[in-house]
Order: sequence, then structure tokens, then C-alpha cells
Amino acid sequence: MPRITIDDVELEVEEGRTVLQAVDDAGLLMNGVEIPHYCWHPKLSIDGSCRLCQVEVEGMPKLQIACNTPVQDGMRIRTTTDRVKSARAGVMELLLVNHPLDCPICDQAGECKLQDYAFEYGVEGSRSREPRRALKKNVDLGPTIVFDQERCILCRRCVRFCDEIPGTHELAVMNRGDASVIETFPGQQLDNPYSMNVADICPVGALTTRDFRFKIRVWFLEDVPGVCTGCANGCNLHIGVANNKVHRYLPRRNDDVNDTWICDEGRLSYRRIGAADRLREVQVLEEDGGRRVAPYAEALSSAAARLRGLLDGKGPGVIVGIASAHATNEDLFTFRRLLDALHIETAGLVVVRGAADELLLKAERGANGAGARALGFGDGRVVVDRIRTGAVDGAIVLGHDILDAEHLGGIEALGRLDTVIALDSHQSSLQRVSHASFPVRVPAEKHGTLTNWEGRVQRVEPAVEPRWEARSEGEVLAALGAALGLEGFSEAWDPREVSRALSEAVPAFAGIELASLPPGGAPLRTPPGRKGRRAT
Amino acid sequence: MLQAPYVTSYLSEHFADDAYGTLEGYRAAGGYKAARKALTGMSPAEIIEVVKESGLQGRGGAGFSTGLKWSFMPEGDEKPKYLACNADESEPGSFKDRILMERGPHQLLEGILIAARATGARTTFIYIRGEYAFPASQLERAVAEAYDAGILGKNVLKSGFAHDVVIQRGAGAYICGEETGLLESLEGKKGQPRKKPPFPAQYGAFGMPTTVNNVETFCHVPHIIANGAEWFRGFGTEKSPGTTIFGVSGHVNRPGLFELPLGTRLDEIVFEHAGGVPNGRKVKGVIPGGMSMPILPAGLLDVPMANEHLRERKTMLGTGGVMVMDETTCMVRVASVISYFFRDESCGQCTQCREGTGWINKIVDRIERGAGEAEDLDMLLDLAGKMEGQTICAFADAAAWPIQGLLRHFRADFERHVQGRKCPFAESFEL
Repeated sequence: MPRITIDDVELEVEEGRTVLQAVDDAGLLMNGVEIPHYCWHPKLSIDGSCRLCQVEVEGMPKLQIACNTPVQDGMRIRTTTDRVKSARAGVMELLLVNHPLDCPICDQAGECKLQDYAFEYGVEGSRSREPRRALKKNVDLGPTIVFDQERCILCRRCVRFCDEIPGTHELAVMNRGDASVIETFPGQQLDNPYSMNVADICPVGALTTRDFRFKIRVWFLEDVPGVCTGCANGCNLHIGVANNKVHRYLPRRNDDVNDTWICDEGRLSYRRIGAADRLREVQVLEEDGGRRVAPYAEALSSAAARLRGLLDGKGPGVIVGIASAHATNEDLFTFRRLLDALHIETAGLVVVRGAADELLLKAERGANGAGARALGFGDGRVVVDRIRTGAVDGAIVLGHDILDAEHLGGIEALGRLDTVIALDSHQSSLQRVSHASFPVRVPAEKHGTLTNWEGRVQRVEPAVEPRWEARSEGEVLAALGAALGLEGFSEAWDPREVSRALSEAVPAFAGIELASLPPGGAPLRTPPGRKGRRAT
Repeated sequence: MLQAPYVTSYLSEHFADDAYGTLEGYRAAGGYKAARKALTGMSPAEIIEVVKESGLQGRGGAGFSTGLKWSFMPEGDEKPKYLACNADESEPGSFKDRILMERGPHQLLEGILIAARATGARTTFIYIRGEYAFPASQLERAVAEAYDAGILGKNVLKSGFAHDVVIQRGAGAYICGEETGLLESLEGKKGQPRKKPPFPAQYGAFGMPTTVNNVETFCHVPHIIANGAEWFRGFGTEKSPGTTIFGVSGHVNRPGLFELPLGTRLDEIVFEHAGGVPNGRKVKGVIPGGMSMPILPAGLLDVPMANEHLRERKTMLGTGGVMVMDETTCMVRVASVISYFFRDESCGQCTQCREGTGWINKIVDRIERGAGEAEDLDMLLDLAGKMEGQTICAFADAAAWPIQGLLRHFRADFERHVQGRKCPFAESFEL
């Protein structure tokens, strides 16, 4: 493997990589080795046009662009010489000649590479006395993206993204020279399931999402790492939070999961967290069929009493458990323990499925189906059939995926049961038939781990705190166990401790613990079977 | 049809004869004998060796060794290999390739066949600028003749060697004369240069190994093969052998084409061959090699037209397009025209070129309008310096050099504009 030296850093690099790629591979790009760049992006083809990443290579008379210079053994590169600094300052000055400098009203301000690099590598003031280019403002490129042509620095990342990632080819550079502008092809819109990624990779404020623009200044946002729960892929997130409210999801790079991308559907799923239809109250069902808000403790003892009655009367065989792909591994492990302690053998995972694509989106619309399966929750369709045919009397139901047309298609069958105990984050008709109904947290509101379709266990942590009384499924189920007088169950439930117990009890989770999980997650010891890997 | 060269040598000696453009006429003048020799009696390595020894330099502007360029092509035939003939001739002031195609299309085809044999290319794409409708029609006719006569096709001159020639007309963009811009355009894409590496010899037309040569470069080759490297070195200077066809335009009594050995002095070309400046005026400046080459003032014209000499005067031979300007010329106006051209023709990929060409043009125009400031002159030089050598292709250099040349030799013109707050040249028309 070739060895190269960049300033004082020695690197052993993979053959066939370019200097910038090698620095990025080593995790040092802009993180120890400063090579500013605009057009280069780790997941797009090399463009070589912004010319900002020029470096001095020993033995080469001209400065070389780091993004397109192949590494050679013994190569010595300098990034801090006067020539390099002057070239960078030259590029920065030229990029600003026609830029509107409207940072005070630009959404990108605060996370703008033009702003950052102008401060870091540019020169103060402008020598230009010429009028700036006047171009189109506020252009609707499509349903999701608004474009400001004047702010654009023509790095063409967005063009390459559409060509290379979704392969939809909506964008191109029209005209040439300083009349160059990015536009959609005539009669076309920027409209694809991944369209909003162009706003992330736009280094300036030229491309903004209709969803986020003008909502909040980015420096008010706290960045909490998270995982998208829209499907089984588990794309990594930067969750942007201010005033206990999630304002946006941005993709967080994880080369093992989602590279630097996220689908538009997943990106907008943050809206579900603070949605009006969140389940906010503990409810119980009166004997006359009326619903009533009840204290948590009352609902717990009511649920325990109903379960106890069934267990004592007909035995555990008439009770089923429905696991959800929206709960964490820790929640589901507690559920598993509760079912085992009650000798309830009929339990399974019920999840809504949709269309998958070839990029990121998986058919299973839930973040933790693989985790549920690893914890022994098999195909819930068997359980659903038993409910439909009236073969059971009681059910503990996590989530309301069971109401989907693919499964029960409604509440009718559940309505015939003697006892339904439901735990859910959002309102649905499930509450109308639940004898005890508990509001629970979504993954962005709690500590825990999720297992994606490939068996990668990833960590979530609270980005926001619900303004109502909400618990994790695991906490409610543990308290239910305690109310039933089961040994080893108590109202105190700590996901870290549960995670430790899980890693000790289930071989697939050996060595995987919430407290020590790396930011990119870790694979299960036993990856999911082929069935879990299938895209559709 | 362009007037045949006033002064001729081996390339153009038959150009006054209309029949030379036909296959019959070309053969009567000894045509295709060199191709037969190369295809039946020489190995590719031998051809490359002779061309290397001849010292032939590419005539498209960069002056790179042709034999060396051919040797970069990979051996073996895992992938089809291509030649591209650069007939874009987009450099303002240059019109030599036009005459070579109009009056000697078979000479070009013969050069292409020999180069194809040397590089193992199966197909040649002749990329000709859109404005060259007549030269293109001459080429098309000659290619058809050559196919009919078995000079192109599956069995060239019964040698067993196969070669096809495809003529592709461009839409008229300066940058499509840059070799990788040409390849992009040839492939049907927007004409903009490719980053290097990879170089065309590894990844050229349609991703295949490709050598791109200028029209005139190909035209020299049959003569080198027919007469040998020593003979070729009998023309020109030691470092710059052979002739070239100088195209002289501007303020001269006899504008046109002159085939002369490299190393012919510029003042000889301007005053003797092109007849000097009309109306009893004096020469002010001469661009020696097409618009992108730095200008020389009247006092520096005693220079042999070969790169080793021109470089000493901070300019280059380029495409041999000599543009003469008399004493009534406003050099700021010249800078304005040149900088507008490069602003308009920049492909817009690289920051320095896209933004720099526009900015320079705006500053120069402002000076010409009488709104210039003293510091603008050094700023122009600084900007030109920041564009030079930092971009994907040499376009930014080509845009920077003329500005540097004009300020080097005619700074006084710029200063008079700034101080007088108007253009001091009576005949200078409004921008």
C-alpha cells in the first residue's frame, strides 16, 4: 500500500485513491488535514472544477487538485504553503465576485461553506467594483426544492447527484462561462424520492427545501444523532432540535447504512414526532364502552386485573402478544420476558409493508423488525389469523400496524376480545377497543437501540421530551409485570440495564450494549436470515 | 474557397491546382505512396520512430512532440483505439486548417491512415467546426472517393489494414477545439474539457484509447514518411523543424496564407510576405500565433517564429495566426474584444475561468469607457496571474496571456484611458 505524507501526517493509503479520497478514508478531511473543497463529495464522481482543493505536490511544478490527483508511494503533499494559500484566496475572491452576499436573509448562513471558507481562507473585502450577475431568485425546481440562482457557485454536486444516485437526470448546467446556470431540463421538475438531498450537498444557500426554509436560523438548532424509523434501513440522522421541537432531519453519514443520503419520505417523517395525533393520554374502556382518561397506576392495575382474570380462568393459551417494529430492542426484550413469565406462547411481529426501492427504502415500514425477529417474534400473521377467527380472548398489542388492510383491516376482530391492552405512540381506532391504552415514546424521545434490516444495531437517544406523560413500551410492560406480581419486574426500568441483560441473555446481541455502541452501530452476532434481507 | 497560399512549400505546393483536391489529382501528384509504404513496409514502431526523429511538433497550438504522443497509446487490442482529427480551428486569427481541408483533403486522409497504422486506431473521427461547411463538404467528398477506391474501409490499399473515417461537425464553440472538450462534444455531450487524469490515450472518445491531432499535424506526416526525418529537419530550426502555414490578417496589404519554414522572422512575414501596413501607417503590435498568444510590439518583431525564440519574448507560436495592428489601434479596445471573446467562450466549469474571464472583461470595458482607476491595471495582472495554470484546461491561460501581453507592452494606452477618463483613439467605436 502506498504511503504518502501530507504536511506532517503520514498515511498508508489504498492503491488507486486520490489524495482527497485518501484523506477522507482516514477520517482526517477537515478534521486534522485542512483541504477545503466544494465540488468534491465523497459519494459522487470527481468533478475537479471548483479548484479550491489545490495542494502542492513535491516534484510537480503546478499546484494540483487533491480531489483528482492519484496517490503515489512516497508522495509528499503540502497544504499550508503560501502558494496554496494564495490559490485558495484567489478562488474564494472569484466565487464571491458574483455572489449576492445576502447571508443575513439566507437560510444557509451558519452552516454555509462559502461563508466558512471565506472567513477561513479568503481575503477581507472585495476588490470588485463591477455589478453582480442578476439571475433568477426563488425558483421552484419541483415540489420540494427552491433555488436561488444568484447564490449558486456552480459546484454541480446537485447535477451529479441526480445523475448518479437516483439516476433521474433532472438537472443540468445551461449556458456557459459566467452565464452558466443550473436549471431543470425544459418541461421537467426536480421530483424524485431523494430530491431533498440536493439541499444537503449544496455547499451554499442556493438549494433549500421548501420544508425547512425560513423556519429557524440554524444556529438555534441542537444536533442530536438519531436513526430514521421510516423503514427497516435505519438511515442515520442529524436531528435538528430547538425549544424541545424537532425542526428537521438531515442525513448523518454512515457508509454501512445510508452513505450520506436519506429518502424524502424518511426526512419528512420528523413531523410525526410532534404531530397532533400523538397519543397523549392513558385511557381505559368503561364497561358501557365509553372511554375515559385514567391515571397511569389505575390503568396498570386494571390491565393487570383483566389479564389475571383471563390467565386464571382460561390459561395463557388464550392471550397473544403483538410486537411492533417501532419499539426498541430493549422494549421488545422486556416484552419477550413478560410473555415468557406469563407463559404466553403465541406472539409475533406485525408490521406494515410498502414498496421498496433499490437505493435505501425498504419494504418494512418500521425501524426494528429485525430486532423483533432476533428476539424471537416470528411472523405475526399467524397471530393475526387467530385473532380474526376468534380463537383468542386477550391481546397485548404494541402499535397499531395490526389495523392495516394487510392484517386485520380494522378493529372489528379486536372488538370481540375480552381484553385488549394497547401501547402506542399515535392515536388510532385501536383506542376504541383497548381496555387499557398507554401512550408511549417514539425512538427520538428515548434511549435505546434499533436493529436494521441487515442486523446492524444502532443507538437512539432523546432529542426531545414529550410534553405529556409518555413512557417507553418497556417501562409500561415492566410495570405491568410488577402489577401482575411477577418476579424480576418492577416499575423502575432503565434501558441501559435492560440492554446489558439483553446482551447477556440473547446470543445474537452478545457484546452489543447501548452504553458502548459506536456512533455507526454494530452488527448482530447472528445476522438476520435471508428472509430478513429480502427487499420486498 | 480560400485563396491558395501566396508562398508555398511541400504542404501547399499543389493547392493552386483544383484537381489536387480530387483523388485522381492527388494521386497524380504522388499521393498515397507514403501510406502504401507505411501500411505495407513499416511496423507501427518504425513509423513512430521516424516521426519522433523528424521532431514534428503538434500544430494545434501546444507544440507537443507528435511521435511521443503516438507512443502513449496502449499496445494490444483489448479495446478499440481511435484517432480524432481536430479540425475545430476555433482560434481567432487561424485559418490554415481550412485551406488544408479545402484544397488538400486527401493529404489529410493519407496522414490519418499513417497515424492510424502507427497507433493501431481502427477509426478516425474528424471533428470539424460547424462554420466550416465548405471544408466539410470537401472532406466528405474525399472520404467517399477514398472508400470507393479502397483507400478507406476493410482493406486499405489491399494491405489488410482496416480503417474508417467519420466526419462529425461541431456547433461552433471555441472550447471544442480543446482535445477533451472535443471528445465530449464528439460524444454528443456539452463541449467542456475533461479533468486529467485520465488522459485521452487511456480514456478518450467513448472511453477508448484515443489520440487527438491537429489537421496540419496529420498533413505533415505523409511527407515525413515519403522523404524521411532528415529531409524534414532540413526545414525550420533545429528545435522546431518543418514548415507551417502562417495565416496573416489585420492591417496588412496582402492578408492571406504563407507556407514558410518555422523560424522565419516575424517582421519578414509581416513586411515582406504580407506586404506591410497599408495607408502609410506604422505597425503598433502583432499577435504572433492566434488570439490567445501574447502580443508583441513593433520593436520586438525581429524574432524567429519558433517557440524556442518566441518564449524568450514571453509569447508562443500557437497556431501561427499572425494578427497585425497599426498605430491607430486602441489596445484597450483590443483587450476588450479579446476578453469578451474569452468570457463568452469559457465553458464555465472552473471557478477561475468562469468568474475570472467575466471580471476581466468588465474591468477592461470600464477602462475603455473612461471609468477606469489606476489600480485596475495591477488588479488585471493579478487576476490574470490567478487564472494561469490553475484550471482543468489551458483556456484560462489562453484568456490570461493576451491581457498580460497587452499590459506588458501597451500599459501606456491603458493609463491614458484612466487619466483622460475616455478613450483617446478617434476611430475606436463604442462598446
